[in-house]
Amino acid sequence: MAITVKVVERPVNEVSYVRAALKGMGLTIKHLFAVGDRVTIQYPEEKSPISPRWRGTHRMLTTENGKARCVACGLCPTVCPANCIKLVPGEDEEGNRYPLVFEIDEFRCIFCGFCQEVCPEEAIHVGRHYENSEYSREGFVYDLQRLMDQTHPVCEMWDPEDPKGE
Amino acid sequence: MVDAKIVNLTIEGRSVSVPEGTTILEAAKTAGILIPHYCYHPGLPIAGVCRMCLVEVEKAPKLAPSCATTVAEGQVVRVHSEKSLDARKGVLEMLLINHPLDCPICDQSGECELQDYTYQEGRNDSRYREPKRFNPAEDFGGDVIYVPNRCILCTRCVRFMDDVAHEPTLNVSERGDRALIGKFEGKDMTHPWAANVVDLCPVGALLSKDFLNKARAWELDRTASICPNCTQGCNVIMETRENQVVRMRPRPNENVNAFFMCDWGRLNYRWMNEKSRAEHPMVRGKNGLVATNWEAAISAAARVLNGKKAFIAASPMLSNESLFLLTQLMQAGGGSGTFRVTEGEEAPLPGVEDLALRRERAANVYGAEKLGFKKTKDLLGGLGQGDVLVIAGEDLAGIDASAVARAGDVIVISSVLPEAAGKASVVLPIANFSEEEGTVTNLRGRVQRFTQARQAPGETRPSWLVLGDLLGAMGKQANFFLPSEVFAKLATSNPSFAGLSYDSLGFRGLPLVDAPPTGPKAPIAVAAR
Repeated sequence: MAITVKVVERPVNEVSYVRAALKGMGLTIKHLFAVGDRVTIQYPEEKSPISPRWRGTHRMLTTENGKARCVACGLCPTVCPANCIKLVPGEDEEGNRYPLVFEIDEFRCIFCGFCQEVCPEEAIHVGRHYENSEYSREGFVYDLQRLMDQTHPVCEMWDPEDPKGE
Repeated sequence: MVDAKIVNLTIEGRSVSVPEGTTILEAAKTAGILIPHYCYHPGLPIAGVCRMCLVEVEKAPKLAPSCATTVAEGQVVRVHSEKSLDARKGVLEMLLINHPLDCPICDQSGECELQDYTYQEGRNDSRYREPKRFNPAEDFGGDVIYVPNRCILCTRCVRFMDDVAHEPTLNVSERGDRALIGKFEGKDMTHPWAANVVDLCPVGALLSKDFLNKARAWELDRTASICPNCTQGCNVIMETRENQVVRMRPRPNENVNAFFMCDWGRLNYRWMNEKSRAEHPMVRGKNGLVATNWEAAISAAARVLNGKKAFIAASPMLSNESLFLLTQLMQAGGGSGTFRVTEGEEAPLPGVEDLALRRERAANVYGAEKLGFKKTKDLLGGLGQGDVLVIAGEDLAGIDASAVARAGDVIVISSVLPEAAGKASVVLPIANFSEEEGTVTNLRGRVQRFTQARQAPGETRPSWLVLGDLLGAMGKQANFFLPSEVFAKLATSNPSFAGLSYDSLGFRGLPLVDAPPTGPKAPIAVAAR
C-alpha cells in the first residue's frame, strides 16, 4: 500500500517568511544607529572583567628573600587528576626541603585548582589570567623559575570575607 | 608452643583462642583487629610507656594497656568502646601538644603512625594555644638524624640499642615536657645495625640521612626481595621510585632476620641503578663488536660453545636458576666453573640468634657451591689453554686482560661489560639482581625467592631466559618461559632441592633438604624493663 501524506492547508500570513525577515532586519538596522548601548568589547584594548575565582595558568608565590615557597611536600603531584605536575624533591643550600625540579605542563592541566587547594604552604596558585600563546609546545611546560616570574593576580578559592560560602 | 595452655577470650565480639601468656594486643592481631600502639614492637621488650594501646577489659577497674596485659580465660575486651576511644583520643592530643605538625617537610609523612592514628581516632583540631617547645635537629652519627620536635618518646630506639644491639647508646634525657632522646657521652650511632632505629621509629623523629628528602612514601613501589649484599639473605622490601631503587627496608621473617637488616646491606643498593650497562646483544664482526638481535647472538654463542670445553667464571650474585643452567652448559662440554666472592668483616646483631652481616658479601655463595661451582681466590686459575671462557655476571675487577688471553674464545653474559673481556666474541646482556626473578640460597641452606623491582634497560633479558635459550640453541631440552619452570627442573635434577617449588617456598623461603636444621629464632626475651 502506498504511503499517503496529508498536506495541511495553512493561512498565508502564517507560512510567509517576508514578515519575519523584515522584523529581523529591523532589529539589525536599529542597532546600526543605536550608538549609546554598545555591547561589543574592544578586545584587546578593553578586557571583560573576570571572576575572582577564575582559574588560569599557574603562579608560584615567593618568600621575602625571593625563593619559592614550595617545600616539595609532594601533595600537588599526588592530588593532580591530570598528572601534569612533575616534582623532584631535594634540598637547597641551607639544607631545607626544596624542589629540584618543579614543572607544570599547562597543556595537560585541566585547571581544576586542586593544587592550590591542597598546598599547605600557599605556594602554588592558579592565576586570574587567560592570555597564553607560545611558538612551541615545550613553551607550555612551565618550570619553577617561570612560575615564580609570573605577576598576574591569583585565584581566590573562596571569599576572604565569607570563607564558608554563607 | 605446642604444650602451652590455650586461653579463650572475646575481643570486639570475636572469640579468640591463643596460648597462655600472649598479650591482648597480639591476640587481637590474630583476630584481625589492630590496636593502635607506638611503644610496642614485636621485636623489642615491652615498655608500656606510650599508653596508646589502652583498651577496655570488662570487670577490670580501669583501662588496660593491651601490649603489657596478658590474656585471661573468659576475658571480654573492647577495643573501640567509647571509653577506650576517648582515652586514646586524649593520648593523641597530648602527643600532638609539642608536635610541630610539619608533615609537608617530614620524610615520614605517608608512613607515619602518628598521622595514621590521628586520622583514625584523633581530634580534628588542637586546643593548645601556647607556644610549642623547640629543639634543633641533631646528627646522631652513622646514617641517623634526630628531630626532637617530632619525637613522641616511645623509646623503641633506646630499647633497640640496649637490648638488641647490646650497645647502649641512646637514652631519654631531661624529664617532663622537656624530655628528648639523647646520646651517651662519646657514643654515636655507628653500630653496624644502628639504622634499624629509623624503621622502628613510628614517627619522623629518627630519619635516614641517605633517604632524606628523596621521595614520598606514597610514590614508592614496593617489591618483596632478598638483600643481595651478604650470605645472610635478609628478607627485604625493595622500594623504587621512577625505576630507581631508592631504599631497602627489612621484611620480617623470624627464620632469617627477625625484623632487622644491617646498615651495610641497607645502603649498598646503588649498584642496582648502574647507568653504564651492556644493553644490546653483540657479536664480533670485522670491525669489533656489533649490536645484533637476540636470535643471531644466541646462535653465535651456541656455535662458539658447541663441542668445546667451557670454563665458567660465575658471579655468586646469580640466582639458583641461572647457576643451574650454567652447570648444564658446563656439563655439555665437560668444563668446569668457579666463582670468587668479596669479603668483609662479620658484624653480628647480638640480640637475635644467628643473625649477622656475614663475611662473604654476595647473595648466593651457598647455592653456587651446592650446584658445583668452586670457590676460589684466583678466578681464572683453572682456565685451560684454548677453553671457551664464559663470564657470567662477573665484573673481572682486578683481573688483567693477559689472564683472559689464555682462553680460546670469550662469551660475556653480564649486565655490565667487563673491561678485561675486550676480546669477547659474543656479549649477551642480562638483567641484574633487582631486575629479574629467582631464588637464592643463604648460608644456612634456606632457599628464598626474590622478585623483579625494576625494569631492565635496553634489550637486556633475564639471565635464566638467556641461558635457557642458549642451551636450546645447543640442542638441549631447555625451553623455559618462567623462572618457576627452571626451578622445577632444578628440583627434579638436584636431590638437595627435591620437593621445593615456587609455590611451596612462598615469600618466607624453605631450607634445602640437606640443610642443617635451624629452629625459628627465639624472640627477644619479653620482660618489662
